[in-house]
Amino acid sequence: MNIKQGDEIPSWDMPSVLPERMRTMAAILRDPYPVHWDRSVVEKMGLGPRTINQGPLGLSYMVNMLHEWTGFGSIKRLRMTFPLPVFEGDHIIAKGKVTAVREENGERFADCEIWLDRDGSRPLEGSATVLLSAE
Amino acid sequence: MTDDMPSEESINALVGHQFPGGTYTIAHWENFLLTECTGAEPLPEDLAHPVALFHVPILGAGTSIAEMFELGQAESGVSIGIESYDWEFFKPLREERPYNITGVISSAERKQQDGRTYDRIQFQFDLHDQDEAPAARTTVTWHYRRTAP
Repeated sequence: MNIKQGDEIPSWDMPSVLPERMRTMAAILRDPYPVHWDRSVVEKMGLGPRTINQGPLGLSYMVNMLHEWTGFGSIKRLRMTFPLPVFEGDHIIAKGKVTAVREENGERFADCEIWLDRDGSRPLEGSATVLLSAE
Repeated sequence: MTDDMPSEESINALVGHQFPGGTYTIAHWENFLLTECTGAEPLPEDLAHPVALFHVPILGAGTSIAEMFELGQAESGVSIGIESYDWEFFKPLREERPYNITGVISSAERKQQDGRTYDRIQFQFDLHDQDEAPAARTTVTWHYRRTAP
């Protein structure tokens, strides 16, 4: 695989964000934030009747995309911001693009812009650095 | 949770707060369920899903999401917003291996934006494996939104 600046990363599809997974995730994280498992709380916030996905879960879709692209163990750095919530039932596609390819201490790295796409909006966006030697 | 806006001094004083620190081992069952939540198949060998770098540092440092809410005097569980994560992996995380974890509040300051007040609090956690080699570092930045008095 000859990765170069400007390449698009093959996307990763989450057809529907499932509320059951948010509940399991809340238990694993010991996360008391009710917006992940109590629809009435989200509704009182004026955000509609669907629970809100955990930030780490949204980020995990981009991790899965990177794993399928450059292999397990290749991720060196992730920087992420969370401009919009992701809701149960959302169809989300993880996407990315290579912004630079560089060498450091004899190893090749790709710096990438990564984001989640929901009908053209970007609820999560950030950057990743992956080790290309693990390709 | 509190209804009163905390003083700016009390927020600034959080800088340098050290969590107790401790050790955390990612169990196989935990990694299996976590990975399933992400929509991926189980990872090969004993690799842990990288998304473990959210909860493992928090719990391993001897704190919890609930305590982090309380330290910043969150008005309620729904008053917290995520600004950003910055995760660095010095080596892949693995199941069934103990990691030594330390954590500190690295930044805490009051901000005003668009007529609204919030406190921006940044937590930094470091993971080392048992031979003290760095394994990962995570910086989590949250906003504690304040309502006007």
